Amino acid sequence: MSITVSLPTILRPYANDQRRVEADGSTLANLIDNLDLTYPGLKSRIVEEGSIRRYVNVYINSEDVRFLNGLDSELSSGDLVDVLPAVAGG
Amino acid sequence: MTKFPSLLESVGRTPLIGLPRLSPSPTVRLWAKLEDRNPTGSVKDRAALAMVEAAEREGKLKPGATILEPTSGNTGISLAMVSKLKGYKLVCVMPENVSAERIQLLKMWGAEIITSPAAGGSNEAVRVAKEVAIEHPDWVMLYQYGNPANARAHYETTGPEILEDLPEITHFVAGLGTTGTLMGAGRYLREKKPDVQIVAAEPRYGELVYGLRNLEEGFIPELYDETVLTTRFSVGPRDAVKRMRQLLTEEGIFAGVSTGAILHAALGVADRAIKAGQSADIVFIVCDGGWKYLSTGAYDGTLDDAEDALDGQLWA
Repeated sequence: MSITVSLPTILRPYANDQRRVEADGSTLANLIDNLDLTYPGLKSRIVEEGSIRRYVNVYINSEDVRFLNGLDSELSSGDLVDVLPAVAGG
Repeated sequence: MTKFPSLLESVGRTPLIGLPRLSPSPTVRLWAKLEDRNPTGSVKDRAALAMVEAAEREGKLKPGATILEPTSGNTGISLAMVSKLKGYKLVCVMPENVSAERIQLLKMWGAEIITSPAAGGSNEAVRVAKEVAIEHPDWVMLYQYGNPANARAHYETTGPEILEDLPEITHFVAGLGTTGTLMGAGRYLREKKPDVQIVAAEPRYGELVYGLRNLEEGFIPELYDETVLTTRFSVGPRDAVKRMRQLLTEEGIFAGVSTGAILHAALGVADRAIKAGQSADIVFIVCDGGWKYLSTGAYDGTLDDAEDALDGQLWA
């Protein structure tokens, strides 16, 4: 069950400078745990005290997971997960 | 009403246009709120006028004062028009990676521009503006990201206009920038119709814009309250351009790139309604016309060409 995870520039140093990585996971929390096994330290940049960090946004197939089930959001093979820092618009 | 004592009084009361060709079925309908019909051609006229008038009421803006604002363009253009008519000076802090037309228009309306680095996008503009504000304590920063008058403008005008024109509304879709449109109109519509869905379309820019030095430099507008939203979609330039072109070729509406992103989210919501067998009346915001983006290449060539041209640009 492979999920593609797209990482922002700022997190790539924690993943051998890759822009996209593949991992398995039935939920987002599960996926991030699996990623952290391959790329130790990545999880703590995304998750803090059991929640997604304030200035990090995570999307599953373009939808913000805070409006799905957060870290418990379910994943299916082929899903695309985007991790992005929160930036200003306007 | 079509007669006004001055340009400022003509802000708002924009038309809501049905889109029979883009609507996926006779029972799932899309409606475009044409905010490009405002005096300077964007939705930001509402917030700009409301913020200036609130500052006047609060005694913060005295005649001849200088207004300072971080902006990627439209808010600056709206503030420049309002400032010109009300006799204020305007200084805008703007990222260097915005379209040439935005800079030209700002200068034409008499604003002074301080540029901020492209990397980091509007985050940097906000940071630089806060520094400039310390150097010039007599300047008045309206600060669209945290100014309640921004959201209130939409609570008092955009939201009521939509509900009056389309009482059967089921979804409201708008762009997430300062969050003023979504927070204001969203709150109003929720209060009047608790079941209405409030959907945010957030532009996903190229790498450069996310070039922060660390995650603590991230930015969330003070106005943002996620409980107002039903959901939030991230839309990249390719989908935004595709939808922007579709809006022009199928419905004849010439809109800017951010409107394409909003339409993409609106069509996603429409698709969900179809799959769930529900009827829907989906209102989305046309933020501005396409004029200011002609030089970006968004209207030329293939989608690949447009995507390349917009990479690194603050297109929304």
